[in-house]
Amino acid sequence: MEKEKINITNKLGLHARAAAKLSHLANNFSSNIFLLFNGDRVNAKSLLGILTLAASVGNDIIIEADGDDESEAVSGIKDLFERKFDEES
Amino acid sequence: MKIKGVIITHGELGKAIIDVADGILEQKSEIECFRFGWDEDGTLIEKQIRKYLNANKDSGIIIFTDMFGGSPANLSLRFNSPNVEIITGINLPGILKFLTYKEKKISFKELLKIIRDGARDGISIISEYLGDRKNGKRKN
Repeated sequence: MEKEKINITNKLGLHARAAAKLSHLANNFSSNIFLLFNGDRVNAKSLLGILTLAASVGNDIIIEADGDDESEAVSGIKDLFERKFDEES
Repeated sequence: MKIKGVIITHGELGKAIIDVADGILEQKSEIECFRFGWDEDGTLIEKQIRKYLNANKDSGIIIFTDMFGGSPANLSLRFNSPNVEIITGINLPGILKFLTYKEKKISFKELLKIIRDGARDGISIISEYLGDRKNGKRKN
């Protein structure tokens, strides 16, 4: 299992369009992928699941992946967060 | 079986829900929109919908309507068949579930339940939600 803590840096946090991008990316991996925040654990492949975290800018969340492509999954998702979901230039 | 969506609502509501869902998902979905105007009796859109359904007989069709008992839903009931299902009271979370699950390898019935549950779970009283979160009762 691969785990990584990441800080949310985009202004709008995990809002609808960011959650859509994240779940879309997560669905490209065969591993089970979860996001952990504030005592909650949601499926990263579910747009509505991600939205229930209500995670904002400045919050730390944990990405957890388990499966054949767990390393690629975690690094790919981490990269999306670091790129601020391509919504701030 | 390919699954297709149709939305029939009062006024522009259906088109607005689809436009917002497409904006979130950054795509142009192929959901067919029909508006039921205040001054219409439904004759014209019934013809249009029948034409659409006849042209898509090989697909599973889900008709979304805004409110059980309203004219769009009442009209939709006429189209119910093994491959045409109707979901009433649709909202943005429900449409997002449809658009993100329709290509998955699940049965037509399973997809209907996922959409219905997604739409229902999208409605919260925030004080209750935060209370459940505090007490560890929240489901994801």
